[in-house]
Amino acid sequence: MGITRFTNCSLALPDGSLRRSDLFIDTDSGKIISGQAHFFSTRQPVDRTIHLQGNILAPGYIDAQINGAFGVDFSSIDEGDATYLKRLNEVSRRIVETGTTSYVPTIITQRKELYQKLLPLLRPRSAPDGAHVLGYHAEGPFLIPEKKGAHEESFLLDASQGIKSWEEVYGAAALDQEGVKIVTAAPDVEGVLECIKPAVERGVTVSIGHSNAPVDVAAKAVSLGASWVTHLFNAMPQMHHRDPGVIGTLGAQDESQRPFYGLIVDGIHVHPNAVRLAYDCHPEGAVLVTDAMSLMDPRLPDGKHEWRDGRYIVRDGLRLYIEGTSTLAGSAISLDHCVRNLASFTSIPLSKAIQCATWNVAQMLGGDVAKRKGALLEGRDADLVVLDRDGFLQSTWVMGKEVYTL
Amino acid sequence: MRLSIRDSPEQVGLYVGDYLAKRINEFKPSAEKPLFVLGLPTGSSPLPTYQSLVELVQRGDLSFKNVVTFNMDEYVGLPRDHPESYHTFMYTNFFSKIDIQPNNTHILDGEAEDLLHECAEYERKIKSVGGIDIFLGVWERMVISPSTRCPGSSLVSRTRIKTLAYDTILANARFFNNDLSAVPRMALTVGIATVMDAREVILVVTGQKKAMALAQCIENGINHFWTASALQSHPWSLLVCDEDATLELRVKTVRYFKSIEKVQDEVEAKYGGAAVRKTRVNGVH
Repeated sequence: MGITRFTNCSLALPDGSLRRSDLFIDTDSGKIISGQAHFFSTRQPVDRTIHLQGNILAPGYIDAQINGAFGVDFSSIDEGDATYLKRLNEVSRRIVETGTTSYVPTIITQRKELYQKLLPLLRPRSAPDGAHVLGYHAEGPFLIPEKKGAHEESFLLDASQGIKSWEEVYGAAALDQEGVKIVTAAPDVEGVLECIKPAVERGVTVSIGHSNAPVDVAAKAVSLGASWVTHLFNAMPQMHHRDPGVIGTLGAQDESQRPFYGLIVDGIHVHPNAVRLAYDCHPEGAVLVTDAMSLMDPRLPDGKHEWRDGRYIVRDGLRLYIEGTSTLAGSAISLDHCVRNLASFTSIPLSKAIQCATWNVAQMLGGDVAKRKGALLEGRDADLVVLDRDGFLQSTWVMGKEVYTL
Repeated sequence: MRLSIRDSPEQVGLYVGDYLAKRINEFKPSAEKPLFVLGLPTGSSPLPTYQSLVELVQRGDLSFKNVVTFNMDEYVGLPRDHPESYHTFMYTNFFSKIDIQPNNTHILDGEAEDLLHECAEYERKIKSVGGIDIFLGVWERMVISPSTRCPGSSLVSRTRIKTLAYDTILANARFFNNDLSAVPRMALTVGIATVMDAREVILVVTGQKKAMALAQCIENGINHFWTASALQSHPWSLLVCDEDATLELRVKTVRYFKSIEKVQDEVEAKYGGAAVRKTRVNGVH
C-alpha cells in the first residue's frame, strides 16, 4: 500500500504524445499524484517502485459502446435483477483482460417495458478487482427502420410526443439518474429533434445513429446538442457528394459543430481507408468503440451461437453475422485490438491511437468522467494499462491496484 | 584558488561531476554519520553537471543515499509546484533521478510565514549537520548566487531576503508568460559568508558573458561588486570554466593555471586514480 512509482516507462499523455517520465500513484486513494508534491511535502521515499522496462504506461481504456461480452448480453434481464448484476460484475472482472477499465453497457432496441427494468440497474458501479460501469447507453428504440441493422424492427418507435415519448420508454428517472446516460437516436425519426435539447439539459449524451438523415437535419441535431455519432459509417447512408448525410457532420465549417464519432476499427465494419479519411478529417473527435456482443471472448470457437429473440449469430473469426444473412451484427473485437488497428490503418503513432480510447472518450462523455478518467494527470483515478511498444497489453490497473497481468 | 579550464560546457559538467563523485566516494558517507553535505545551485550553467551526476548514479558509480543537500536560494511568494520555482528545478533535473533521501534535501521555503525565521533556521540547519563539505556555486551576472543578480552583495552576508534587480526581473519575465507582474520580486538566498564557510567551494563558470567577471575576480582585488572574488581568501576553492569564459583573462593567467593543472595531473597519475577519469573528461570514453 502507499505510494507506488512507475519508472523506466513512457507515458501516453492526453495530447497523444509519449514522454519518458515517472508516474506516481497513491494506492490508498486510488489516484494519480504528483511525485514532486509527495517528495517535498512528506519528505518520505516511495513505498514501491515498479520498473516497466521501457514499456508504455497509458490510461485505462474506456468503451462507450459495448452490448455484452464473455457470454453476457447486457440487454437481457430474463433472470431478474440479482442475476443481471452478478453477470455485470463478471464482465467487469474479465474485461480488464482487454485493457478496458471503464465501460458503458449498451442496450440495443428492446421491448418498451424492459428499459425501465434495465436502465436503473446501470448506474455507476465498480466491481472489486474489475472495471467500472459508467452508466448506460440506450441504442434505440427511436431509430429509422431502413437503418436498423441488427435491431428488431417491431420494437422501433417514434417520439411523436417529444421528450414525453422518451420518458415513457426510458423512464423519467432514468433520464435524470446519476452517471453516464447515452441515447442513440435518429434525428429523422418523428419528434427526436425536439427531444435533444431537453435531454442534454438533463445530462444525457445524445448520439446520432441508425439514421437516414440528410446533412442539414444531422447538423441541426448537432446544433441542438447532439455530441456524438454512433458507429460512423455503419447504419447510415453512404456519403453522397451533394448530401453527405450524417457522415457530413465531420465536415462542418464551424469546427465546434463537428461531433465526436464512434469508430469500430475491427477492419470489418469499416474499411481502413474510410477509417483514415474520417480520422484525418477530424482527429480530435475519434472515439474508438468495440460495439462488442456477448460473443466477444477470445476463447469462443467459430460457428453458430444462440443469440436472442430466437435468432442465431454465426461467428467467423472477428466477423459476426445474423444467421442466414450477410448483415453484420456487432463485433467480437477487444478494445486494445482496436487501438492497434487504428495505429496501423492510419499510420499514426500508437500514443495518438491510445488517445482515441481514453482522452477523447472521456471528453465526449463529459461530466464527472471527463474530470476523473482518461488521462495520466494529477488527481485523476489511477486506472492504467501497461502496453508494450506495439500496443499489446501487459497489465491492467484499476484505482491503483493491479487487476490483470499477462 | 585553482582554475580548471575545460573545452566546453559539457566537458565542464563531466569534470565537475567526476570531481564531486571522487570527493563523495573518498569520504565514504554512511547512515551512522558523518553524512556528506553539499551546497547546490540552480540555473542553466549547472545543468551539464547535474546530467553528469545523474549518469554516474545510474551507472552505479555514485550514490546520494547518505548525502545531504542545501540549495542556494528560492523565490519568495512563488508556490513550490510552480514550473519556475527552484523546488521544481531541483526535483525535475536532479532529485527525481537519483537515490537521494527526500528528508536529506533542503531548499529555502519562499512561502514561509516568517521569512526571517526561515533564513535563520536554514543557517541553523546547516550548522546542525556539521557545515557544508562542498558548496557548488554558479556565476550568473557577476555574483555567486544566481538569485541575487544585483551587483553589490555584502561579503559577510548570511542567508537573507534579497530584492531582485529590475533587469533580473525583466530577464525572468519570459518564464512567466511575459507578465512582469507575475515575476517574483524577492528571493531568499544564502549569503556570501554562508558559502565561504563551506570547507570547499567549486564555482562553475561557462560562456563568454562571464568572461569579464571571471577576469575581475581572479586578477583584481576582492570587491563586493565582484562577489566571487571573495574566493581569493577561501582556503580551498576551485573554479571550473570553459574556454569561452577565459576570453578576458591575460594569457599569462591562463598559462599559469594550465601549468598548475598539468603538474597536478602528473602528481595524481603517479599516485593512481586519475588515469581513468582523465580519459573521461577529455571526451574519450
